[in-house]
Amino acid sequence: MTSRQKKVLYRILISGIMFIILFAMEHTGGLEALSSKWMALVVCLVPYLIIGYDVILKAIRNIRNGQVFDENFLMMIATFGAFVVSEYIEAVAVMLFYQVGELFQSYAVGKSRQSIADLMDICPEYANLEIDGQIEEVDPEDVEIGSIVLIKPGEKVPLDGIVIEGESFLDTSALTGESVPRKIYPNDEIISGCINGSGTLRVRVTKEFDDSTVAKILELVENASSKKAKVENFITRFAKYYTPFVTIAALILAIVPPIILQDNWMIWLERACIFLVISCPCALVISVPMGFFGGIGAASKIGVLVKGSNYLELLSEMDTIVFDKTGTLTNGVFEVTEVIRKKGVHENVLQIAASVEAFSTHPIAESICKAYNKEENAEALKVIDVEEISGHGVRAKLDESEVLVGNIKMMKAHGISCKAHKGSGTVVYVAKDNAYLGAVIISDTIKEGAAKAIKKMKIAGVSKTVMLTGDRKEAALAVAEELKLDEVHYELLPGDKVSKVEEYIETADRNAKVAFVGDGINDAPVLARADIGIAMGSLGSDAAIEAADVVIMDDDLRKISRVIKISKKTMSIVKQNIVFALGVKGLILLLGALGMATMWAAVFADVGVAVIAILNSMRTLNAKF
Amino acid sequence: MKKKFKVENLDCAHCAAKMEDAIKKIPGVEDAVMNFMTQKLTLEIADDANMDEIVDKAQECVTKVSIVCEIIR
Repeated sequence: MTSRQKKVLYRILISGIMFIILFAMEHTGGLEALSSKWMALVVCLVPYLIIGYDVILKAIRNIRNGQVFDENFLMMIATFGAFVVSEYIEAVAVMLFYQVGELFQSYAVGKSRQSIADLMDICPEYANLEIDGQIEEVDPEDVEIGSIVLIKPGEKVPLDGIVIEGESFLDTSALTGESVPRKIYPNDEIISGCINGSGTLRVRVTKEFDDSTVAKILELVENASSKKAKVENFITRFAKYYTPFVTIAALILAIVPPIILQDNWMIWLERACIFLVISCPCALVISVPMGFFGGIGAASKIGVLVKGSNYLELLSEMDTIVFDKTGTLTNGVFEVTEVIRKKGVHENVLQIAASVEAFSTHPIAESICKAYNKEENAEALKVIDVEEISGHGVRAKLDESEVLVGNIKMMKAHGISCKAHKGSGTVVYVAKDNAYLGAVIISDTIKEGAAKAIKKMKIAGVSKTVMLTGDRKEAALAVAEELKLDEVHYELLPGDKVSKVEEYIETADRNAKVAFVGDGINDAPVLARADIGIAMGSLGSDAAIEAADVVIMDDDLRKISRVIKISKKTMSIVKQNIVFALGVKGLILLLGALGMATMWAAVFADVGVAVIAILNSMRTLNAKF
Repeated sequence: MKKKFKVENLDCAHCAAKMEDAIKKIPGVEDAVMNFMTQKLTLEIADDANMDEIVDKAQECVTKVSIVCEIIR
């Protein structure tokens, strides 16, 4: 509790005790025993002023500043009204409970805000800068590129950099949601905001603080609440009309029925006061943005940055999800997926291919060598006279015989008959002394768990999954089939991807949103064009963080379905709060107009509802997804 | 020019929105965001405007809504 909150608490206690005494006196008839009505008023004014003086002062000041319809003013009018109708005890009670509610509300808001802030507590406070062999603690903002910083065990990495000395485990969970620590060796890049494990690291700084990952992420999270969801804007607009509407209704209620019905003025004045107490839209104005903030907080807890509450709203309406293939659904790394050996051939086809390709720097050659080196007892054969034939492959001499390793064109050029391989991937044929031995097939591998992730997205409510790729038909269809995607478009040029996504947006229903998932490297225009652009594996990639609306820090596809669930939960909580707050207020307004609600019920409808709505909006943050 | 300020004792979302509206109307202010959740004010001002003067005026706007609320420079 802050000192201001404590002060209010003491005032509540003092006037609360006085209120209880007065309340008891009223029920035992003690209050009437006081010499006159004026005496009773004076006695009740003491606790009233103790608890309510600041409300009245604020109201007067705000009127002078031209802000009439604020809650202080309304509380003042409502309680003055109660005094006028001789409900002295009630006036004290309303003010007292209003303050109790306000205190509880401010405490709950503070607590919730703190728990969200703690979650995003990734900002490093200092850096251990090395100056002439001496270590000095400085502000990370003062560290220049190329400086050396020392990171001790348990400390936060202050700036992005490259490890030059030391080994350690790095806890990246605050950024990626990944709980398994990452092993770090010299020459590895490290990212600010992570927490160093058990080893001390010496790091050469590669980015200034303002450009570092942690500063970028913090900026993004802090600005997230400025992009408002439709519901939020609706509430803001609603609040603008709600208060004047209820206040005017109260005025009408106080004047019209007594004149028409020739009824007692006092009764209708009291009912009008009930209206005024309920007229503040606080419950909605606080709990709705808070619900969204809780959702954004919950997403960042699993390593997903959502750049605004509007995107959280869109995610909950996501109907079609379009994926880029390479680097998103697949690893984007070419690996040997199959080795074919012709019947009757005894040679190790992969060994021959690897031995010959060892001299080439082509990416395909590299993946062949990598695959072979994984085998047990891997040993390169002795080859000589290696000659690379551009566009064909490699020719070399192995134990007096001529070996050819290359594509189908090379085989044809040498008149070697071999069966052309059908299916996805790149094929490297191997022949010895003009006789076909076999082939090595290299293809991009599908990410682990991708099929399961797609299935989970469907369960979470996505109705259509689409893949776009510039790759060949066979490769595209193979991936689409394995992942059970609904639609696939292949052999696309980069520009075609934008127009495909546009097509989906145009044909979709107005409330069915289209998301595009890419790795952010060369699909920034598509990310920007889609209703929701989701960038994957973007830790440290500025371009992706900039272009996308939702950033998944690591490359785990499963997080998409989790963030959809978070968005749906958030939306349902926000809607619950709106319905609950408006429902209770509407009900009390109705009962109040009919004379069936007390001032107490009105106070509950105001502050009680606000507190419940705030507590409800924090549920997203603590739920597991 | 863009600058961020911490705001103390900002304890109602309703008020934050009122302050934001008022600050946006100060001449020289291009954009202002009063973030209730992070308790921060982000000011974007024209290049030829004086930041100190604008913060003074922003504080006036803030005080009008809440007397205890303070922009920390």
